[in-house]
Amino acid sequence: MNNIYMPELMKVIGVKQHTADVKSVKIRFQDPATTDAFSFRVGQFGMFSAFGSGESTFNICSSSNWKDHIEFCFRKTGMVTESLWRIEEGDSIGFRGPYGNSYPMEDWEGRNLIFIGGGIAMPPIRCAIWYALENRAKYGDITIVYGARTAADFVFADELDQWAQAERTRVVRCVDPGGETPDWNYEVGLIPHVIERAAIPAENSIALVVGPPIMIKFTLPVLDKMGLGTKDIYTSLENRMKCGVGKCGRCNCGPVYVCKEGPIFTLEQLHRLPLDY
Amino acid sequence: MSEAITQAALLSLVDDWISGGRTVSGPSFVKEGLLLYEDLQNAGQLALGKVIRPADSIKKYFLPRHEELYRYTFAGQNTCLENIDLVPVERVIVGARPCDAAALPVLDKVFNWDYVDEFYTRRRDATTVVTIACTLWDDQCFCTSVGLGPAVEKGSDVLLLPLAEGYEVRCLTEKGQRLFAGKTTPSETMAAAPTGPERKFDTKEIDALLHGDYENPVWRDIALRCLGCGSCAFTCPTCHCFDITDEGNASGGCRVKNWDCCQFNMFTMHASGHNPRSNQAQRQRQRIQHKFRIYPDKFGEVLCTGCGNCTRNCPVSLGVLTTMEALASSDAGRDATENAASLKG
Ligand code: SF4
Ligand code: SF4
Ligand code: FES
Repeated sequence: MNNIYMPELMKVIGVKQHTADVKSVKIRFQDPATTDAFSFRVGQFGMFSAFGSGESTFNICSSSNWKDHIEFCFRKTGMVTESLWRIEEGDSIGFRGPYGNSYPMEDWEGRNLIFIGGGIAMPPIRCAIWYALENRAKYGDITIVYGARTAADFVFADELDQWAQAERTRVVRCVDPGGETPDWNYEVGLIPHVIERAAIPAENSIALVVGPPIMIKFTLPVLDKMGLGTKDIYTSLENRMKCGVGKCGRCNCGPVYVCKEGPIFTLEQLHRLPLDY
Repeated sequence: MSEAITQAALLSLVDDWISGGRTVSGPSFVKEGLLLYEDLQNAGQLALGKVIRPADSIKKYFLPRHEELYRYTFAGQNTCLENIDLVPVERVIVGARPCDAAALPVLDKVFNWDYVDEFYTRRRDATTVVTIACTLWDDQCFCTSVGLGPAVEKGSDVLLLPLAEGYEVRCLTEKGQRLFAGKTTPSETMAAAPTGPERKFDTKEIDALLHGDYENPVWRDIALRCLGCGSCAFTCPTCHCFDITDEGNASGGCRVKNWDCCQFNMFTMHASGHNPRSNQAQRQRQRIQHKFRIYPDKFGEVLCTGCGNCTRNCPVSLGVLTTMEALASSDAGRDATENAASLKG
């Protein structure tokens, strides 16, 4: 029976702890034929199973150019993520997907890219950053603004250093006031203020903003002031999902099913939706 | 010219279906005052006539309250998955109400939209729906307000229309024909078209209201009464929301689908604790928005058949009809920002 709820079995090939409560996991299809047949686009998500605890929705945070495995990243906050926290290399987990729409990476060619992430929200941006860096010639300047509560809260911190060394790529990292350590050499301040101070050129730019609703809310006016249009500002919504395929009925934001028509929306699209996110 | 069957012949036909190995379900009193769709041991258990409608709906035969999706077994670091090859029972539902049957084509759209949910479609294929047109209705019935009526054929394989004696038989699909072939007699009498409950609201007006004032304070007023119990959704023929969870132990278990409802706080709660619909007003609005705006925008018809079960089963007499009345009489010309503040508070 063709069972749309049936996951593929995946082998865990690597686990990395980023902060006190955030880990990322590398997984590979147990069946090599599936690996060959599988493809996705950056921005899409999957349903990840810890059998016995349930399924959770995460963005596929690896680049779509990496063919032999996929990665996801999570914060330990509930029953499923408590179980995922305990997995080790060699364990089996389940994956369904890819689901949802994706970043319009082709439309962004020739544009400057501004990536803005807050807290755990880095994974859905990371896939797009790597994708852009792997196709470096196709994109203009890349600016990555990443804010976390404290210096210990950065996810993929080592990759930030790698990105900073890429050509025409600038990394701005900041911590909330009070979150800095004595040897913190970067910005201190909330993301919206840091963006203002950073004087990022907005011309011919698109911005991808992902983070807690409150951060997005205060960042949008700054981008507006910089001169970015609502069609050029993108975000990825994180509504609670169960099925991922438009059946279970919980992910809607007004008339839009986030699992099917999202999770990526422009600010212009969001303005037309009720505030159910 | 039409086809007819006597009451006695219908009942003996039902008994034949049962003795022939089919599962037959229909309205039956499980105790005094509680009419539900039940699997029948014999035709005598059927409650026909003199009752408005069951307190539940036939959706449970297509989307069960609880169902296994697949099984998993742990073997050290490995996990084995076992798919389920659903072979549903051959079921005949007899005495379905038109407002129950009409929900099926509406649900079909959800479960076939892009991804096909075979748990639903296989049950749908294995089930034949024999509907009896209504001759009775109460204050809660409003099928005629949502474009349906007491004798609509939508979703039925056979429609039986009560005559002075017996029923006029209209076989609407091949499945229906197979059940009644050779069992009916030609008749000169045609059933009179039942008039149905009076129209109580106009979906076009409601549509305009729902597309307009999203922050209508009517939601807050309604929500003050709502207990968030979910009875409205569970007894609704068209509500189809479900949860997916695991049930098992250290050696394995199964992934299951359970009915869920947008009136529950946890329904939309993010792992972070943030909840896009954090108060009951937003959740009541979701229910009506989904039925009369979101679903129609997507699929071209309303997600409601006017059965009235939501109000009949609600401990505080809310439900679609009550809400429609409140919405229609709400004052549309308020300051939207002021209301926005009040609803999110
Ligand atoms: S009204 Fe609520 S429970 Fe019913 S289908 Fe819509 S979202 Fe689901
Ligand atoms: S049945 Fe009534 S009280 Fe219960 S959730 Fe529905 S509207 Fe609220
Ligand atoms: S996650 Fe189930 S409908 Fe979108």
